[in-house]
Amino acid sequence: MVSKTEEEQVNRLESQVENGGGGAWEYLCLVRKLKLRRSDKVLKFGLSILNDPKKRSALGPEEWTLYEEVAVAAMDCQCLDVAKEFTKVLQKKFPGSKRVGRLEAMLLEAKGSWAEAEKAYMSLLEDNPLDQIVHKRRAAMAKAQGNIPLAIESLNKYLEIFMADQDAWRELAEIYVSLQMYKQAAFCYEELILSQPTIPLFHLSYADVLYTLGGLENLQTAKKYYASTIDLTGGKNTRALFGICLCTAAIGQLTKGRNKEDKENSQLQSLSAVALEKDYKQRNQSKHSLLTATLKSLKLS
Amino acid sequence: MGVGFVVGVLGVLILSHAAYSTIQYRALLKITEEEFSGPPINVVVELIAGLMLCMWAALTVPGKFLSILPHSDENRVVALPENLDFMIFNHRGKAIPMGIDAKLK
Repeated sequence: MVSKTEEEQVNRLESQVENGGGGAWEYLCLVRKLKLRRSDKVLKFGLSILNDPKKRSALGPEEWTLYEEVAVAAMDCQCLDVAKEFTKVLQKKFPGSKRVGRLEAMLLEAKGSWAEAEKAYMSLLEDNPLDQIVHKRRAAMAKAQGNIPLAIESLNKYLEIFMADQDAWRELAEIYVSLQMYKQAAFCYEELILSQPTIPLFHLSYADVLYTLGGLENLQTAKKYYASTIDLTGGKNTRALFGICLCTAAIGQLTKGRNKEDKENSQLQSLSAVALEKDYKQRNQSKHSLLTATLKSLKLS
Repeated sequence: MGVGFVVGVLGVLILSHAAYSTIQYRALLKITEEEFSGPPINVVVELIAGLMLCMWAALTVPGKFLSILPHSDENRVVALPENLDFMIFNHRGKAIPMGIDAKLK
Protein backbone atom coordinates (compact mmCIF):
# COMPACT_ATOMS: atom_id res chain seq x y z
CA MET A 1 0.00 0.00 0.00
CA VAL A 2 1.64 3.16 -1.15
CA SER A 3 0.86 6.10 1.07
CA LYS A 4 1.08 9.70 -0.04
CA THR A 5 4.32 10.47 1.76
CA GLU A 6 5.93 7.34 0.37
CA GLU A 7 4.87 8.24 -3.16
CA GLU A 8 6.31 11.71 -2.81
CA GLN A 9 9.52 10.26 -1.39
CA VAL A 10 9.91 7.89 -4.33
CA ASN A 11 9.32 10.64 -6.86
CA ARG A 12 11.75 12.92 -5.11
CA LEU A 13 14.45 10.26 -5.02
CA GLU A 14 13.83 9.47 -8.66
CA SER A 15 14.29 13.06 -9.78
CA GLN A 16 17.31 13.35 -7.51
CA VAL A 17 19.04 10.34 -9.03
CA GLU A 18 18.05 11.46 -12.54
CA ASN A 19 19.80 14.76 -12.03
CA GLY A 20 22.99 13.18 -10.86
CA GLY A 21 22.66 13.24 -7.07
CA GLY A 22 23.34 10.00 -5.20
CA GLY A 23 20.80 7.72 -3.63
CA ALA A 24 20.27 5.13 -6.37
CA TRP A 25 20.47 2.26 -3.91
CA GLU A 26 17.85 3.85 -1.62
CA TYR A 27 15.59 4.40 -4.62
CA LEU A 28 15.92 0.76 -5.63
CA CYS A 29 15.23 -0.45 -2.08
CA LEU A 30 12.15 1.77 -1.83
CA VAL A 31 10.82 0.59 -5.20
CA ARG A 32 11.32 -3.00 -4.11
CA LYS A 33 9.58 -2.40 -0.77
CA LEU A 34 6.59 -0.60 -2.29
CA LYS A 35 6.39 -3.04 -5.22
CA LEU A 36 6.22 -0.38 -7.89
CA ARG A 37 6.68 -1.14 -11.54
CA ARG A 38 9.13 1.48 -12.78
CA SER A 39 11.25 -0.82 -14.87
CA ASP A 40 13.04 1.74 -17.03
CA LYS A 41 14.38 3.67 -14.05
CA VAL A 42 15.22 0.51 -12.12
CA LEU A 43 17.13 -0.82 -15.09
CA LYS A 44 19.07 2.40 -15.61
CA PHE A 45 19.99 2.96 -11.98
CA GLY A 46 20.61 -0.71 -11.28
CA LEU A 47 22.99 -1.00 -14.22
CA SER A 48 24.84 2.10 -13.04
CA ILE A 49 25.44 0.41 -9.69
CA LEU A 50 26.23 -3.04 -11.01
CA ASN A 51 28.62 -1.88 -13.72
CA ASP A 52 30.77 -0.15 -11.14
CA PRO A 53 32.74 -2.82 -9.26
CA LYS A 54 33.37 -0.54 -6.29
CA LYS A 55 29.67 0.15 -5.72
CA ARG A 56 28.87 -3.48 -6.38
CA SER A 57 31.18 -4.74 -3.64
CA ALA A 58 29.85 -2.07 -1.27
CA LEU A 59 26.47 -3.78 -1.40
CA GLY A 60 27.66 -7.03 0.09
CA PRO A 61 25.13 -9.88 0.07
CA GLU A 62 22.36 -7.56 -1.14
CA GLU A 63 24.02 -7.57 -4.54
CA TRP A 64 22.14 -10.74 -5.55
CA THR A 65 18.73 -9.26 -4.72
CA LEU A 66 19.69 -6.32 -6.89
CA TYR A 67 20.65 -8.70 -9.71
CA GLU A 68 17.23 -10.29 -9.50
CA GLU A 69 15.42 -6.96 -9.39
CA VAL A 70 17.32 -5.57 -12.37
CA ALA A 71 16.90 -8.83 -14.31
CA VAL A 72 13.12 -8.58 -13.98
CA ALA A 73 13.23 -4.90 -14.95
CA ALA A 74 15.33 -5.79 -18.00
CA MET A 75 12.77 -8.37 -19.04
CA ASP A 76 10.05 -5.74 -18.70
CA CYS A 77 12.03 -3.34 -20.90
CA GLN A 78 12.76 -6.09 -23.44
CA CYS A 79 16.54 -5.95 -22.91
CA LEU A 80 16.64 -9.72 -22.95
CA ASP A 81 20.41 -10.13 -23.29
CA VAL A 82 20.98 -8.13 -20.10
CA ALA A 83 18.39 -10.28 -18.36
CA LYS A 84 20.06 -13.44 -19.66
CA GLU A 85 23.48 -12.27 -18.42
CA PHE A 86 22.15 -11.58 -14.96
CA THR A 87 20.28 -14.87 -14.78
CA LYS A 88 23.48 -16.68 -15.71
CA VAL A 89 25.38 -14.85 -12.97
CA LEU A 90 22.72 -15.79 -10.42
CA GLN A 91 22.66 -19.38 -11.66
CA LYS A 92 26.41 -19.61 -11.15
CA LYS A 93 26.14 -18.28 -7.63
CA PHE A 94 23.06 -20.25 -6.54
CA PRO A 95 22.95 -23.45 -8.59
CA GLY A 96 19.79 -25.49 -8.26
CA SER A 97 17.88 -22.69 -6.61
CA LYS A 98 14.11 -22.51 -7.13
CA ARG A 99 14.14 -18.73 -7.18
CA VAL A 100 16.67 -18.70 -10.02
CA GLY A 101 14.65 -21.42 -11.76
CA ARG A 102 11.61 -19.16 -11.65
CA LEU A 103 13.67 -16.31 -13.04
CA GLU A 104 14.81 -18.48 -15.93
CA ALA A 105 11.24 -19.52 -16.69
CA MET A 106 10.22 -15.84 -16.63
CA LEU A 107 12.99 -15.15 -19.12
CA LEU A 108 11.58 -17.82 -21.44
CA GLU A 109 8.18 -16.17 -21.03
CA ALA A 110 9.59 -12.77 -21.92
CA LYS A 111 11.23 -14.22 -25.01
CA GLY A 112 7.86 -15.54 -26.10
CA SER A 113 8.64 -19.27 -26.04
CA TRP A 114 5.47 -20.20 -24.19
CA ALA A 115 5.77 -23.98 -24.52
CA GLU A 116 9.27 -24.07 -23.02
CA ALA A 117 8.23 -21.74 -20.21
CA GLU A 118 5.25 -24.00 -19.48
CA LYS A 119 7.58 -27.00 -19.36
CA ALA A 120 9.90 -25.16 -16.96
CA TYR A 121 7.01 -24.23 -14.67
CA MET A 122 5.66 -27.79 -14.69
CA SER A 123 9.05 -29.15 -13.69
CA LEU A 124 9.24 -26.58 -10.87
CA LEU A 125 5.78 -27.66 -9.76
CA GLU A 126 6.82 -31.30 -9.67
CA ASP A 127 9.37 -30.50 -7.00
CA ASN A 128 6.92 -28.41 -4.99
CA PRO A 129 3.28 -28.71 -6.05
CA LEU A 130 2.19 -25.95 -3.66
CA ASP A 131 4.45 -23.21 -4.96
CA GLN A 132 2.21 -20.13 -5.03
CA ILE A 133 4.31 -17.99 -7.32
CA VAL A 134 4.59 -20.65 -10.01
CA HIS A 135 0.82 -21.12 -10.06
CA LYS A 136 0.36 -17.39 -10.42
CA ARG A 137 2.95 -17.18 -13.22
CA ARG A 138 1.10 -19.89 -15.12
CA ALA A 139 -2.13 -17.90 -14.88
CA ALA A 140 -0.23 -14.79 -16.01
CA MET A 141 1.18 -16.73 -18.95
CA ALA A 142 -2.30 -17.80 -20.00
CA LYS A 143 -3.35 -14.15 -19.87
CA ALA A 144 -0.31 -13.07 -21.87
CA GLN A 145 -1.10 -15.57 -24.60
CA GLY A 146 -4.60 -14.15 -24.83
CA ASN A 147 -6.25 -17.29 -23.48
CA ILE A 148 -8.40 -15.45 -20.94
CA PRO A 149 -10.83 -18.32 -20.13
CA LEU A 150 -7.87 -20.51 -19.23
CA ALA A 151 -6.46 -17.71 -17.08
CA ILE A 152 -9.80 -17.38 -15.26
CA GLU A 153 -9.99 -21.13 -14.77
CA SER A 154 -6.47 -21.44 -13.39
CA LEU A 155 -6.98 -18.43 -11.12
CA ASN A 156 -10.20 -19.92 -9.78
CA LYS A 157 -8.47 -23.23 -9.10
CA TYR A 158 -5.62 -21.39 -7.39
CA LEU A 159 -8.04 -19.40 -5.24
CA GLU A 160 -9.81 -22.56 -4.14
CA ILE A 161 -6.57 -23.62 -2.49
CA PHE A 162 -5.15 -20.25 -1.44
CA MET A 163 -8.22 -18.24 -0.57
CA ALA A 164 -6.39 -15.50 1.29
CA ASP A 165 -4.25 -14.28 -1.60
CA GLN A 166 -5.12 -10.64 -2.16
CA ASP A 167 -3.18 -10.25 -5.40
CA ALA A 168 -4.99 -13.13 -7.03
CA TRP A 169 -8.40 -11.76 -6.10
CA ARG A 170 -7.42 -8.38 -7.50
CA GLU A 171 -6.19 -9.91 -10.71
CA LEU A 172 -9.35 -11.98 -11.10
CA ALA A 173 -11.51 -8.91 -10.48
CA GLU A 174 -9.63 -6.96 -13.14
CA ILE A 175 -9.96 -9.79 -15.66
CA TYR A 176 -13.71 -10.01 -15.03
CA VAL A 177 -14.09 -6.27 -15.45
CA SER A 178 -12.19 -6.44 -18.73
CA LEU A 179 -14.66 -9.09 -19.91
CA GLN A 180 -17.62 -7.08 -18.58
CA MET A 181 -18.64 -9.88 -16.20
CA TYR A 182 -19.47 -7.35 -13.53
CA LYS A 183 -21.35 -9.60 -11.12
CA GLN A 184 -18.33 -11.86 -10.73
CA ALA A 185 -16.05 -8.84 -10.44
CA ALA A 186 -18.28 -7.51 -7.65
CA PHE A 187 -17.88 -10.82 -5.83
CA CYS A 188 -14.08 -10.58 -6.05
CA TYR A 189 -14.09 -7.03 -4.76
CA GLU A 190 -16.35 -8.08 -1.89
CA GLU A 191 -13.74 -10.67 -0.92
CA LEU A 192 -11.04 -7.98 -1.01
CA ILE A 193 -13.06 -5.56 1.12
CA LEU A 194 -13.77 -8.34 3.63
CA SER A 195 -10.10 -9.09 4.10
CA GLN A 196 -8.77 -5.51 4.06
CA PRO A 197 -11.59 -3.12 4.91
CA THR A 198 -9.41 -0.10 5.56
CA ILE A 199 -8.06 0.29 2.03
CA PRO A 200 -10.28 2.88 0.34
CA LEU A 201 -9.29 1.87 -3.19
CA PHE A 202 -11.12 -1.44 -2.91
CA HIS A 203 -14.27 0.38 -1.79
CA LEU A 204 -13.87 2.71 -4.74
CA SER A 205 -13.50 -0.08 -7.30
CA TYR A 206 -16.45 -1.96 -5.82
CA ALA A 207 -18.59 1.15 -5.99
CA ASP A 208 -17.51 1.66 -9.62
CA VAL A 209 -18.53 -1.88 -10.53
CA LEU A 210 -21.89 -1.54 -8.77
CA TYR A 211 -22.55 1.78 -10.49
CA THR A 212 -21.78 0.15 -13.84
CA LEU A 213 -24.17 -2.70 -13.12
CA GLY A 214 -26.98 -0.22 -12.54
CA GLY A 215 -30.36 -0.81 -11.01
CA LEU A 216 -31.74 1.03 -8.01
CA GLU A 217 -30.36 -1.22 -5.28
CA ASN A 218 -26.89 -1.33 -6.81
CA LEU A 219 -26.85 2.43 -7.16
CA GLN A 220 -27.78 2.92 -3.53
CA THR A 221 -25.10 0.48 -2.39
CA ALA A 222 -22.60 2.16 -4.70
CA LYS A 223 -23.41 5.51 -3.11
CA LYS A 224 -22.74 4.03 0.32
CA TYR A 225 -19.37 2.70 -0.78
CA TYR A 226 -18.38 6.01 -2.38
CA ALA A 227 -19.27 7.61 0.94
CA SER A 228 -17.09 5.15 2.83
CA THR A 229 -14.23 5.89 0.44
CA ILE A 230 -14.59 9.58 1.16
CA ASP A 231 -14.58 8.74 4.86
CA LEU A 232 -11.41 6.69 4.62
CA THR A 233 -9.50 9.20 2.52
CA GLY A 234 -10.64 12.30 4.38
CA GLY A 235 -12.36 13.70 1.32
CA LYS A 236 -9.21 13.83 -0.79
CA ASN A 237 -10.33 11.31 -3.39
CA THR A 238 -11.89 13.25 -6.28
CA ARG A 239 -13.28 10.16 -7.98
CA ALA A 240 -15.41 9.26 -4.97
CA LEU A 241 -16.82 12.77 -4.78
CA PHE A 242 -17.80 12.56 -8.43
CA GLY A 243 -19.26 9.13 -7.76
CA ILE A 244 -21.63 10.50 -5.14
CA CYS A 245 -22.89 13.21 -7.47
CA LEU A 246 -23.44 10.79 -10.33
CA CYS A 247 -25.11 8.18 -8.13
CA THR A 248 -27.51 10.72 -6.70
CA ALA A 249 -28.36 11.94 -10.19
CA ALA A 250 -28.91 8.40 -11.46
CA ILE A 251 -31.05 7.45 -8.45
CA GLY A 252 -33.07 10.62 -8.90
CA GLN A 253 -33.67 9.72 -12.50
CA LEU A 254 -34.80 6.19 -11.64
CA THR A 255 -37.15 7.26 -8.87
CA LYS A 256 -38.63 10.22 -10.69
CA GLY A 257 -42.22 9.16 -10.12
CA ARG A 258 -42.02 8.20 -6.44
CA ASN A 259 -41.31 10.94 -3.93
CA LYS A 260 -40.83 9.01 -0.72
CA GLU A 261 -37.37 9.95 0.55
CA ASP A 262 -36.04 12.68 -1.64
CA LYS A 263 -34.92 15.36 0.74
CA GLU A 264 -32.62 13.40 3.03
CA ASN A 265 -30.03 12.55 0.38
CA SER A 266 -29.64 15.97 -1.15
CA GLN A 267 -27.39 17.06 1.70
CA LEU A 268 -24.78 14.47 0.75
CA GLN A 269 -24.85 15.54 -2.85
CA SER A 270 -24.62 19.23 -2.13
CA LEU A 271 -21.74 18.66 0.28
CA SER A 272 -19.78 16.64 -2.22
CA ALA A 273 -20.49 19.24 -4.93
CA VAL A 274 -19.11 21.95 -2.68
CA ALA A 275 -16.04 19.86 -1.89
CA LEU A 276 -15.43 19.24 -5.61
CA GLU A 277 -15.70 22.92 -6.45
CA LYS A 278 -13.25 23.81 -3.69
CA ASP A 279 -10.82 21.17 -4.89
CA TYR A 280 -10.98 22.31 -8.53
CA LYS A 281 -10.64 25.96 -7.56
CA GLN A 282 -7.49 25.10 -5.68
CA ARG A 283 -5.87 22.75 -8.11
CA ASN A 284 -7.11 23.45 -11.60
CA GLN A 285 -8.70 26.86 -12.01
CA SER A 286 -9.15 26.49 -15.77
CA LYS A 287 -11.50 23.52 -15.55
CA HIS A 288 -13.59 25.03 -12.76
CA SER A 289 -16.20 26.50 -15.10
CA LEU A 290 -16.57 23.13 -16.81
CA LEU A 291 -17.15 21.55 -13.43
CA THR A 292 -19.85 24.04 -12.41
CA ALA A 293 -21.66 23.52 -15.70
CA THR A 294 -21.57 19.73 -15.26
CA LEU A 295 -22.78 19.88 -11.68
CA LYS A 296 -25.61 22.20 -12.66
CA SER A 297 -26.79 19.81 -15.36
CA LEU A 298 -26.65 16.93 -12.86
CA LYS A 299 -28.71 18.78 -10.29
CA LEU A 300 -31.40 19.48 -12.83
CA SER A 301 -31.81 15.89 -14.00
CA MET B 1 17.50 8.67 24.71
CA GLY B 2 20.10 8.73 27.47
CA VAL B 3 18.74 11.90 29.09
CA GLY B 4 15.15 10.68 29.00
CA PHE B 5 16.15 7.37 30.50
CA VAL B 6 18.07 9.02 33.37
CA VAL B 7 15.18 11.39 34.05
CA GLY B 8 12.79 8.44 34.10
CA VAL B 9 14.94 6.56 36.63
CA LEU B 10 15.16 9.72 38.74
CA GLY B 11 11.37 10.09 38.69
CA VAL B 12 10.89 6.49 39.81
CA LEU B 13 13.40 6.99 42.62
CA ILE B 14 11.59 10.13 43.80
CA LEU B 15 8.26 8.28 43.78
CA SER B 16 9.64 5.40 45.80
CA HIS B 17 11.21 7.85 48.25
CA ALA B 18 7.83 9.52 48.67
CA ALA B 19 6.22 6.13 49.30
CA TYR B 20 8.83 5.30 51.91
CA SER B 21 8.30 8.66 53.62
CA THR B 22 4.56 8.07 53.74
CA ILE B 23 5.05 4.66 55.34
CA GLN B 24 7.38 6.15 57.96
CA TYR B 25 4.89 8.96 58.60
CA ARG B 26 2.15 6.41 59.18
CA ALA B 27 4.38 4.49 61.59
CA LEU B 28 5.06 7.73 63.46
CA LEU B 29 1.31 8.44 63.63
CA LYS B 30 0.68 4.94 64.98
CA ILE B 31 3.11 5.67 67.80
CA THR B 32 1.37 8.94 68.66
CA GLU B 33 -2.05 7.30 68.03
CA GLU B 34 -3.35 9.92 65.62
CA GLU B 35 -5.42 9.36 62.53
CA PHE B 36 -3.85 9.17 59.13
CA SER B 37 -5.64 11.88 57.17
CA GLY B 38 -3.15 12.25 54.33
CA PRO B 39 0.54 12.43 53.67
CA PRO B 40 2.40 15.59 54.78
CA ILE B 41 2.69 18.45 52.33
CA ASN B 42 6.31 17.87 51.38
CA VAL B 43 5.51 14.30 50.39
CA VAL B 44 2.69 15.61 48.18
CA VAL B 45 5.10 18.04 46.50
CA GLU B 46 7.57 15.20 46.03
CA LEU B 47 4.84 13.04 44.48
CA ILE B 48 3.89 15.73 41.99
CA ALA B 49 7.53 16.28 41.02
CA GLY B 50 8.05 12.54 40.54
CA LEU B 51 4.90 12.37 38.42
CA MET B 52 6.09 15.18 36.13
CA LEU B 53 9.51 13.61 35.66
CA CYS B 54 8.11 10.17 34.91
CA MET B 55 5.58 11.54 32.44
CA TRP B 56 8.19 13.56 30.59
CA ALA B 57 10.48 10.52 30.39
CA ALA B 58 7.63 8.27 29.20
CA LEU B 59 6.88 10.63 26.33
CA THR B 60 10.48 11.24 25.23
CA VAL B 61 12.11 7.82 25.56
CA PRO B 62 10.03 5.74 23.06
CA GLY B 63 10.81 8.08 20.17
CA LYS B 64 8.67 9.38 17.34
CA PHE B 65 4.93 8.79 17.58
CA LEU B 66 3.19 7.33 14.51
CA SER B 67 0.11 8.95 13.04
CA ILE B 68 -3.20 7.15 13.51
CA LEU B 69 -5.51 9.20 11.32
CA PRO B 70 -6.44 7.13 8.26
CA HIS B 71 -6.45 10.14 6.00
CA SER B 72 -3.24 11.84 7.08
CA ASP B 73 -0.62 11.96 4.39
CA GLU B 74 1.43 9.17 5.93
CA ASN B 75 -1.44 6.72 6.08
CA ARG B 76 -3.55 7.65 3.10
CA VAL B 77 -3.29 4.92 0.47
CA VAL B 78 -3.00 6.57 -2.93
CA ALA B 79 -1.97 3.55 -4.95
CA LEU B 80 -2.01 -0.16 -4.50
CA PRO B 81 1.23 -2.05 -5.19
CA GLU B 82 1.35 -3.30 -8.74
CA ASN B 83 0.54 -6.96 -9.06
CA LEU B 84 4.09 -8.02 -9.73
CA ASP B 85 3.30 -11.71 -9.46
CA PHE B 86 1.07 -11.42 -12.50
CA MET B 87 3.32 -9.15 -14.53
CA ILE B 88 3.28 -10.02 -18.21
CA PHE B 89 5.97 -9.03 -20.66
CA ASN B 90 4.22 -8.84 -24.00
CA HIS B 91 2.92 -5.32 -23.64
CA ARG B 92 3.21 -2.39 -26.00
CA GLY B 93 6.54 -1.44 -24.44
CA LYS B 94 8.08 -4.13 -26.62
CA ALA B 95 7.75 -1.91 -29.66
CA ILE B 96 9.37 1.11 -28.02
CA PRO B 97 13.17 1.05 -28.16
CA MET B 98 14.82 1.50 -24.81
CA GLY B 99 17.13 4.31 -25.83
CA ILE B 100 19.74 3.61 -23.18
CA ASP B 101 22.85 1.63 -23.77
CA ALA B 102 21.99 -1.25 -21.50
CA LYS B 103 24.99 -3.45 -21.17
CA LEU B 104 26.64 -5.42 -18.43
CA LYS B 105 30.38 -4.88 -18.33
